[in-house]
Amino acid sequence: MSDSVATVPDAIRPRRHLLHRIGSQDPIVVAALALVLGFIVGALIIITTTPAVLDAWRGIFHSWGAPGHALKVSFDNVGAAYRTMFTGSIVDPQGFWHSLTTGKGWDATLTPISETLTYATPLVIVSIGVGIAFQTGIFNIGANGQAVLGGIIGTAAGSMIHMPTVVHIPFTLLAGIAGGVISGAVPGVLKALTGAHEVIVTIMFNYVLYAFLLFAVLSTALQQPGQQNDISRTLDPSAQLAPIFGAKSGLRVSWGVLVAVAVVIFAWWLLDRSSLGFEFRVTGANPQAARASGMNARVIVIVVFLISGGLAGLAGVVQVASTTHYIDGVFLIGNAGIGFTAITVALLGRNRPMGIVWSSLLFAALGVGGRAMQATTGIPLDLATVIQSAVVLFVATPVLVKEIFRLRGAPSQSVELATKGWNS
Amino acid sequence: MELMSVEELTPSLDTPSVRKVPVGRTRVIGVIIVVIGLFSLIALGLNTSSRAHSALTFSPVDILTNAPWHLGTLTLLTFWTNVILALIMMGVGIEVLWRQPRRGVMGRFGFISVLFLLALLFWAVRTPGPSQVSFIDLTSILVGSSEVTMVLIFGSLSGVMCERAGVVNIAIEGQFIAGAFVGASIASTTSNYFYAAIGGLVAGGIIGWILAFLAVRYRSDQIIVGVVLVTMLSGLSSYLNLQIFTPYPKLNTGNVLGNFAIPLLDKIPIIGPVFFNQSAFFYLMLLLIGGVSFALFKTRYGLHVRAVGEHPHAAATVGINVARVRYINVVLGGAIAGVGGVAFISQQGQFQPGITSGLGYIALAAMIFGRWRPSGAVVACVLFGMSVYLADNLQTYNIPISTEILTMFPYIITIFVVSGLVGRVRAPAADGLPYQAG
Repeated sequence: MSDSVATVPDAIRPRRHLLHRIGSQDPIVVAALALVLGFIVGALIIITTTPAVLDAWRGIFHSWGAPGHALKVSFDNVGAAYRTMFTGSIVDPQGFWHSLTTGKGWDATLTPISETLTYATPLVIVSIGVGIAFQTGIFNIGANGQAVLGGIIGTAAGSMIHMPTVVHIPFTLLAGIAGGVISGAVPGVLKALTGAHEVIVTIMFNYVLYAFLLFAVLSTALQQPGQQNDISRTLDPSAQLAPIFGAKSGLRVSWGVLVAVAVVIFAWWLLDRSSLGFEFRVTGANPQAARASGMNARVIVIVVFLISGGLAGLAGVVQVASTTHYIDGVFLIGNAGIGFTAITVALLGRNRPMGIVWSSLLFAALGVGGRAMQATTGIPLDLATVIQSAVVLFVATPVLVKEIFRLRGAPSQSVELATKGWNS
Repeated sequence: MELMSVEELTPSLDTPSVRKVPVGRTRVIGVIIVVIGLFSLIALGLNTSSRAHSALTFSPVDILTNAPWHLGTLTLLTFWTNVILALIMMGVGIEVLWRQPRRGVMGRFGFISVLFLLALLFWAVRTPGPSQVSFIDLTSILVGSSEVTMVLIFGSLSGVMCERAGVVNIAIEGQFIAGAFVGASIASTTSNYFYAAIGGLVAGGIIGWILAFLAVRYRSDQIIVGVVLVTMLSGLSSYLNLQIFTPYPKLNTGNVLGNFAIPLLDKIPIIGPVFFNQSAFFYLMLLLIGGVSFALFKTRYGLHVRAVGEHPHAAATVGINVARVRYINVVLGGAIAGVGGVAFISQQGQFQPGITSGLGYIALAAMIFGRWRPSGAVVACVLFGMSVYLADNLQTYNIPISTEILTMFPYIITIFVVSGLVGRVRAPAADGLPYQAG
């Protein structure tokens, strides 16, 4: 039940002036305002839970200056939190100036942005998979499990089979893709053949794969020799994605970035240039029309899940090959796993490749900055997760954003997803 | 009171994709059952030495205070017991293959699962054998699994309440987290689980209200909102745990709620410890099962709810306020799951981030396995609760199959169910669809 406005592709919409866009219901405006609201929610949470701020508020009746003081303490705490988030994830202006004038300390200055890119690399890949599925009207909650299986099979290929670097890296990445494809095939085939709802199947299959992960890292084949714990073998150096600036610089950003760029180009080509992508988008926008024009819905469902799962698997193996080089029993598990963040990233990026790139960078910066915030101010990094989810709740409810900011224009669905029940 | 079933009123609403049912899938499940039976016959029955024996005891968990009398120990020859169990399984499988019954396939499958678990346990504890344990205490298995089962039942009743009114509640896990967090802090400060339950009720209700607010009023995608709410609460609880519980450990001391034995009744073997020597939340859960079933299927309000879940436009035509019914049910459903979170924390004591570990999703699975009915959901919760408990306690029995395989069981069975391998499920027709008047 999507509004007619939502199904008009962007290309057909008249391009409007920037000034005209501001204050209107342009989806980008809605996303930006949702971001503002998300940070406001985060600020309120900081104010209501940080002991120092609460103490200041408790004393507001003690003296005339107290309310002003309480406000100042609140602003200071929120400001410090968000400032460290920025300097911890993008750049510290002072350090940057120091490096610029003296030419020294570039490694330290670039570390935040390198960390953000490292975090964003697998996130872009998995989010594009989720976004392609969304564009076809399919909700792939199973991306996390698919990434896990990709990580398992990729780790097996990278650690148990030995070959020269030139073939080992592609082989490892392909193994990860294969893992994702296998786990994506299950919900895809079941949906195509029996009509099983992909949301239920993927949620359940996630847990099956988590259990399989524990089984795998405890098995004699994959467990680190001599270990009793749930830790896998380490990837051969020939299978690792090396840091771009060399291991000595300490900057972790790896050649995996190139894989992500390739995926973005592939997704752009698939969705905007290929006939398969056109069929995907038609199926997502209007399944009846797709069926009427002779598209095979079953084949499309299966293919979408193979692609989406394959990308998730690739993200899993890129994560392993570029950072830890091994997996453990809690690899990607939990609600902070990249497969779940990917859902929010794809929605914020409106399921388009470039939108997903920007929103991945943003959410990666939030995650990395959250770590810096916890280290400096003591405010737990989970605040980043809360802000991300709040942003997506607002993005998924554009009418609410419109009402809060009194935007003009007819209500439209920013999330271009045909809302369906269990029975479809 | 005779009420017409709403399902019969709307025969042709489903999209065609669901109707395309592969012929003879009852046969598939029949084959699966026969294979399980054959496996049990060969691996667990014929494979054991004919001298081995297993003991089945029924002693209560706490013998001294609990029973003036109790059932003795039943010693069984492992070989023959398992052969007979396996033959029963194969018999049921062949019956399914032969007659292809249209109803009760799922029930038969649940029965087979229980028989298989029993055969597995008998085999594991056979006495000239590898295990240190030589007996299965049926009572302790039932009592142990009843803790998980209780929490699952709260969750799946919440799901039934929401989804019968046409709102998908994937946020059960989030409501568990909210209830557990609030419950832990209130129980620690007041040492009173009654107040904690009220707190959990309110917390879960608020999550339900947010879901209803976004899904009913603003017609956002319910699945997205649900998934994001779970992510948000998991992050928020972990945040608050560090920000509040760590500096003020008094807020999370973790006192566990004791049991309340019902006099005399708790002395009955097996049934007594399982049903009449439990915490107050267990009795509340029993009341809720009856209450929700009655409210949904025997009252005028329940008819309204089901009408809204099946065909909101028709319901609106006869004067039912669709939005109001959905609001009420989703808030109530959230509140039930919130209490479930408190019930969970009343056994666990201290709150920790991630402590609910996906139980909310198993509850969702149980609701689907139980075909969106309270009674079916309860049966599914018992089955899933037992498998969760056994997966956690398998080491005790030294069973050579890995824990992880048993952990997968509830999820795999749910995948079977939604893909129609085991019986057929059908959600309320308008479940998950936003309603727009006019």
